Amino acid sequence: MEKETEESKEYDVIIVGAGFAGPVAAVKCARAGLKTLMLERSARVGEKVISGLTIPFHGFLFGPDFIREGNPPIERPVDGIINYIIRDIDSCDIEIDDSLRIPKPFSPVIAFGYNAYCRPFCEWEAQMAVNAGCELRTSTTVADVIKEDGKVAGVITEDGERIRARIVIDAEGSQGLVAVKAGVREKYPPEVISLADVYDYEMSKEDVDTVLGHTLRFCWAWDEENLAPPLGYGNGLMVWPYRRSVHFCQDQCLSLGEGRVSNLRKAFLEYHRNITTKLPWWRDEVQPRVKLRAHMWETFEIFVGLDKRLRNMPSCTDGMILIGDAAGLEGTELCDGVPAAWFSADIAADVAIEALFSNDTSKEFLKRYEERVRDHPMIQWSISGTNRYNLRFAQDLHDFEELKKYVHRGWGLACFTHVSTPLLKMILRFIREDPMIIDSWIRMFFRYYYNWVYERYDQRDFADRKGVNSAMKGTFSSFLFKSFIRGFAITLRFFSPFIRFAARVLEPVCVVANPLMGLLLPFFKGFLNFWAKLEPLTSRISDVSVELIKWSDPRIFERP
Amino acid sequence: MGVLALEMFPDEVPGVDWIGVTGDFVRVIDEKCDGCACCVRVCLGECFEIHDKKARVRSLARCMECAACWYVCPKEAIIFNWPQGGTGFRTDWG
Repeated sequence: MEKETEESKEYDVIIVGAGFAGPVAAVKCARAGLKTLMLERSARVGEKVISGLTIPFHGFLFGPDFIREGNPPIERPVDGIINYIIRDIDSCDIEIDDSLRIPKPFSPVIAFGYNAYCRPFCEWEAQMAVNAGCELRTSTTVADVIKEDGKVAGVITEDGERIRARIVIDAEGSQGLVAVKAGVREKYPPEVISLADVYDYEMSKEDVDTVLGHTLRFCWAWDEENLAPPLGYGNGLMVWPYRRSVHFCQDQCLSLGEGRVSNLRKAFLEYHRNITTKLPWWRDEVQPRVKLRAHMWETFEIFVGLDKRLRNMPSCTDGMILIGDAAGLEGTELCDGVPAAWFSADIAADVAIEALFSNDTSKEFLKRYEERVRDHPMIQWSISGTNRYNLRFAQDLHDFEELKKYVHRGWGLACFTHVSTPLLKMILRFIREDPMIIDSWIRMFFRYYYNWVYERYDQRDFADRKGVNSAMKGTFSSFLFKSFIRGFAITLRFFSPFIRFAARVLEPVCVVANPLMGLLLPFFKGFLNFWAKLEPLTSRISDVSVELIKWSDPRIFERP
Repeated sequence: MGVLALEMFPDEVPGVDWIGVTGDFVRVIDEKCDGCACCVRVCLGECFEIHDKKARVRSLARCMECAACWYVCPKEAIIFNWPQGGTGFRTDWG
């Protein structure tokens, strides 16, 4: 049976790449009954994906429902960011901006995002795609596309095998070798590409809990401090706490314009040495408790969205759609490609399904994918943030006030002056569609927290809470949550026509949210400062709710 | 000798494996290369060296397939492809 017939190699949809985006499109296409094939070049899904990674909450809220309603492998919920703005490292002249933080009692259950290792996460997604009926072929590199009368009609593997499909969805990542070969878009210039240098350190869970907790740490400095990589374009250094490890990531643009390419090996090594030996909290608290486990690097597109020409490059052609990083959808500030990858994959799958049912896979038809991406508030917000880019100029001019301003706007409380409108728009859009989504959001936060505590992920054994807690506690908290969730769902359903109407009315009004936040920011800060004074009380409530979640039956947080 | 190769990293890269026979998936086109050494400077895996005023691939043994060389080459002298399916670098800690 070496030779298969031509017919058996004809698919409705071929997806190139099983990273974060590919499987999302695969799940939707397969569930719609399309004959779907996903091709992955690595032997095991996810083993070539590199990143320190926080997937922000909006990815989960507005992303694919199988993730929101599922149990993906996450490493740790995140409750905020601490920024270290370093003026002089030797005299420890360091300012701290930790204004972006989910306040107690909401944190850590209501999370700002979830840290994750890419390999298990991508593997989980790919398994969901396989469960949905998608065929997965690993160890298969796509070399080119089949073109017939100028239309993409399938892919050609490196062995010369031709696999035909009515639509090809390209999710191969930022390099976009297939997309460039197919003539959909050009290769990105090095000025918009960043090289991430990542170190994975083992650390005991107790130490991560005590030293880093649930908070991300970012560092920003002048170039002569040799601390974070600020050679240009506002690059920085970020530290992610995982479950039993810490990720240290420094990144730097490949080119600083006019053909200036730095010696990155030298720079990265110096930065790494400096931060680990000079920055007080790393040197004294982290360094003695960690053991280096892995060192890896990867390029990612960081500023594609800021260049009009690059942003407007096509992301589809006859018979082919680009999604995720392949389409240039990396976030410019948080470097978070995952939410945009999920959103675009979801949209691409919708358009592919529509195209196949209308029997029209022309570029004209597929352009509705580009339109919907342009119309997506969160994608557009994430690819157009300028704070990280602008940091460069503050760093060049040694303007400390400017540096602080951009940090505050990018990763501090002032981010609400640019994220409020798109966030509200998305929330209202989802609520207008179905108010019951709120119930699903709340259950998700509870479930993810429970899963984090017990490492309860699909396709894995987990430590059951039984034996850890008494039956009475379990019954009590389960009853409490069941009543709350059921009660909330019933109330929501009862008021849903009203909520839907309110969302429809409010949607056009939310354009004022950003400027309004600009005006109200001082009051907002004042309120949060006041709230922080209630910490003894609020953190007690938070502790109790965490305990209750731990005792509960996780099935309460699943889809009813 | 005319060889420029910067030994910056320790010999071993922890936590990462390279498996199988990748084939020479990264190549330098001699006629296009002007020896600017951008690829040498940008590559963290020390895959390139300058020999007789031209870049050449020294070894792909520590290539993480990031394509930084391909991005930065001002003369488009680098051909970058993915390695043979199922081969090349892999890690559990990405």
